[in-house]
Amino acid sequence: MVFQQLASGEPLVHNGTVHAPDIEMALLNGRDVFVRRPTAHALWVTPVECIFTRTREELADGRWLAGVQASSGAAEAWHVFGKLTQQGQLEQLGQVQAASAEEAMKLAIETYTQHEIWVWWVFPVAQTLSSQPEEAAALFSFSETHDFKNQAYYPVITLMREIRNKKQAGGKRG
Amino acid sequence: MYGASVDEVKQDGAEDPQKLAEFEARIARGEKIEPGDWMPADYRKQLIRMISQHAHSEIVGMLPEGAWITRAPSLKRKLILLAKVQDEAGHGQYLYHAAETLGISREEMVDMLLTGAAKYSNIFNYPTLNWADIGTIGWLVDGAAIMNQTMLARCSYGPYSRAMVRICMEENFHKKQGQEQVILLSQGTPEQRKMMQDAITRWWWPTLMMFGPHDTDSPNSPLLVRWGIKTRSNDELRQDFVNQMAPDLMALGLTLPDPDLKYNEASGNWEFGEIDWDEFWRVVKGDGPLNADRMAARRKAHEDGQWVREALAAYAEKQQALN
Repeated sequence: MVFQQLASGEPLVHNGTVHAPDIEMALLNGRDVFVRRPTAHALWVTPVECIFTRTREELADGRWLAGVQASSGAAEAWHVFGKLTQQGQLEQLGQVQAASAEEAMKLAIETYTQHEIWVWWVFPVAQTLSSQPEEAAALFSFSETHDFKNQAYYPVITLMREIRNKKQAGGKRG
Repeated sequence: MYGASVDEVKQDGAEDPQKLAEFEARIARGEKIEPGDWMPADYRKQLIRMISQHAHSEIVGMLPEGAWITRAPSLKRKLILLAKVQDEAGHGQYLYHAAETLGISREEMVDMLLTGAAKYSNIFNYPTLNWADIGTIGWLVDGAAIMNQTMLARCSYGPYSRAMVRICMEENFHKKQGQEQVILLSQGTPEQRKMMQDAITRWWWPTLMMFGPHDTDSPNSPLLVRWGIKTRSNDELRQDFVNQMAPDLMALGLTLPDPDLKYNEASGNWEFGEIDWDEFWRVVKGDGPLNADRMAARRKAHEDGQWVREALAAYAEKQQALN
């Protein structure tokens, strides 16, 4: 799973997945697939199997939440992501400390109550690889200089108008 | 876990009527269906078919344009074309991912493409014979694709819709760079104008075929509309495309190869002649100008990449053993 932060201070958002034999290659592949544009401030990857997810539909009857058992193991940090709008991507909400994925999910649902969430994800911080600030220039700056990837680079509307005007003027003369 | 594993995917048979009603109510309310949510087996099946075909089209679609990277007339056009072809590879990746959330693996999908079990867009079975074809593909072919993709960006399946939003944003660059080239060549030297006209003459009809069979011959359409996957029909999209493109192409002094093309003041539509459906079905069934070449190129690329996949896997294994 690949997550991208567009600018400092903004939440990371989920982009999609890449295939890779290890997590470092996943970060590089994620860069190639998702940072062609817009550019990134930071990129995270985590293995798909580390994502624990529940949708609003799955949580609707309350049975799953009621069945979550308290774990006795050591607590670790979990990233929490949620889908806030119908059309939106999942975005970063924060972190919780929990001993299991189920417990992390329950805690996330109890903690982040200010939004209506359609899909919840939790995954261990320890299983996430983040790009480092000192790598950012080497990883991402290539995509800042490619003006020609911007549709505004091509003045096609002006060109078409000029051709039509010229034709009209020519028609009047003829 | 994220997505569905194949064994929990219900294959066939009747759906629970109450669940189906709730599902259809969600779609009617404009909600997005997400991996993990209940969905009818047919919804899953149709989406896998559509999304994987779409992914394959992006991947095979790199071939006709890729052939001109080494022959681009300037460094600027080479950079643009390289970036565009690279985008198509990225789009294939976004879409394979969206299909994976439905419980099919990337390996299965690639296999289905390479064995010929899965289809990809017919348009890529036509050859790119001159440089003007590159502008034409950008403006017409990507333009036609955008009409379809703009519709799919609103579709009911969350991962597909999100992939489409991203793709549409990037495709707009593809369309504009193509349009600019067609404009410049059509206003250029007599030789450039001739080249441009030749490209439009060859690509016009295959582009109209991209929207698929007539609504009356499109068996999956009613279900796809009902489940919010498609929101507009093949014929509606095709008409919009002709209305948008025909006046612009003619303003550039280009001739479209359709004697029946005329503007209907009453309907506001550009009426056009009948598509050669024999040709359409011939190409779908594998007998297009370049079907065999395209598949041979994909197979070779897959086989040539084998040692890279093996080396990466061996390295990952070794690193894991060290840790």
